[in-house]
Amino acid sequence: MARGQPRSEAREEIFAEQLLIEAAQRDPRRFAELYEQNFDRVYAFISRRVRNREEAEDLTSEVFHQALANLPRFEWRGVPFVAWLLRMAANAIVDRWHSTSKEQVDPRHDAEDKAALAEVEQRASLFQLVESLPPDQRLVIIQRFVEQRSTREIAAELGRSEGAIKQLQFRAIENLRARLGGAHA
Amino acid sequence: MPKLSRSAQLDQAIQALLSYTDSVPPVKSSLAPLVRIAADLCDLPREEFKARLKSDLERKASMATPAVTPFREGFHSLTPYLIVEGAAKLIDFLKQAFGAEEKFRVPKPDGRIMHAEVRVGGSVIELADANAQYPPRPTNLHLYVPDADSVYQRALAAGATSTHEPVDQPYGDREASIRDPGGNNWYIATHKAAGPGQFTPEGLRAVTIYLHPKGTPQLIDFLKRAFNAEEDARYESPEGAIMHARIRIGDSIIEMSEAHGPYVPRPTGIHLYVPDADAAYRQALAAGATSLTEPNDAPYGDRAAAVQDPHGNSWFLATYVRDVPLPG
Repeated sequence: MARGQPRSEAREEIFAEQLLIEAAQRDPRRFAELYEQNFDRVYAFISRRVRNREEAEDLTSEVFHQALANLPRFEWRGVPFVAWLLRMAANAIVDRWHSTSKEQVDPRHDAEDKAALAEVEQRASLFQLVESLPPDQRLVIIQRFVEQRSTREIAAELGRSEGAIKQLQFRAIENLRARLGGAHA
Repeated sequence: MPKLSRSAQLDQAIQALLSYTDSVPPVKSSLAPLVRIAADLCDLPREEFKARLKSDLERKASMATPAVTPFREGFHSLTPYLIVEGAAKLIDFLKQAFGAEEKFRVPKPDGRIMHAEVRVGGSVIELADANAQYPPRPTNLHLYVPDADSVYQRALAAGATSTHEPVDQPYGDREASIRDPGGNNWYIATHKAAGPGQFTPEGLRAVTIYLHPKGTPQLIDFLKRAFNAEEDARYESPEGAIMHARIRIGDSIIEMSEAHGPYVPRPTGIHLYVPDADAAYRQALAAGATSLTEPNDAPYGDRAAAVQDPHGNSWFLATYVRDVPLPG
């Protein structure tokens, strides 16, 4: 197979996605499936560039509302749907900067850049893998990173030692590293 | 000072990451990959946010009226209908050469194919074995793929005849052409001028019907009057002959250029989904078409009719009415 040609499974995935897009263009209720497939990618792209949870959520929400409204005008041209979403995300970030006069690196190049897209896929996979952790490890990761609580607070709530929580946290992250297949190694 | 355990060292680094301090304490190199994962975990989305946004979007989507579409799932306005001798052999070729996926086939008792549907990329192709009413009608099709050169080679390996080796065309396509075992011509192209990762020009899908009529302006005029077609693009030679035209019908494009040299008229079978097959049938007759089949309720769930245009192309008009389970 020639270099640069997508693997056949990847192509099948793209065409399955195309069918789903067309179904959602006819019946907007199907948009929820596109949302589920792409939420983590869009959030991963935005959160890396704004470094503030509220702003990341605000912009993610803006992108998906805009995508739902503009879906009837979306024309499929052989690129994954996420590329369209990330372009919208990059524009939304730039608009936000303009309104707050922040000077930052323009993210619109990243929405087209292969390395940046690979990073988005990797971060989105990581977010999804958290779901597959054993319940106690998953709980510690969410309390620690989403709720931003200290290991002492988590230990007190769960009635365990602080050392045990640090161990759980350590094993969870090791687990994630193993499941990512060395992408972070 | 007591030596910290690996889990305590990692936690110290995480605490620094969560505090947005620039000084994450140095860690052993064996811990560095875990710290990088931890840095990404700082952006882990809140589950409540993801669920709330989903329900907001679902509420908004439920208020939007589903578009009334006259198509069966997977179809667009225009679909080529290939009528050939040896439909089964052609399906095998399409699978090997273009990675086609067979959706289903309806065989006749003698093993010939009454109707079959395959999917190539994002496009459906319908085909059937020829019969007395519908003799073989080889067709021209424009196929966009990620790599025209390798697909051209695969087509030859699968039994096609080369009519044109891959070349770079001035309009930005890498293009080759072949003739398949059913006698259809395929223009195999990659649109190099498209953006990164793209291989299809704007407005086109994987497969597009390509006609070479004698009297292209008259055919375009007929399509406008019969099917509310619109001209998307038209390129003329200095003598005024149409070198290339893109005509939009519904959500699809049909391409054409005036017959010249080896590019002779090849009347084609075209399946056209319309909002109202009965009205489209009447409008087509008024525009100069002749009737092949009056509107009827087809057993496969469509309201269907058929007409022939003044250039000999057969138009199978249909409106999707209800789903009928398909064989296979």
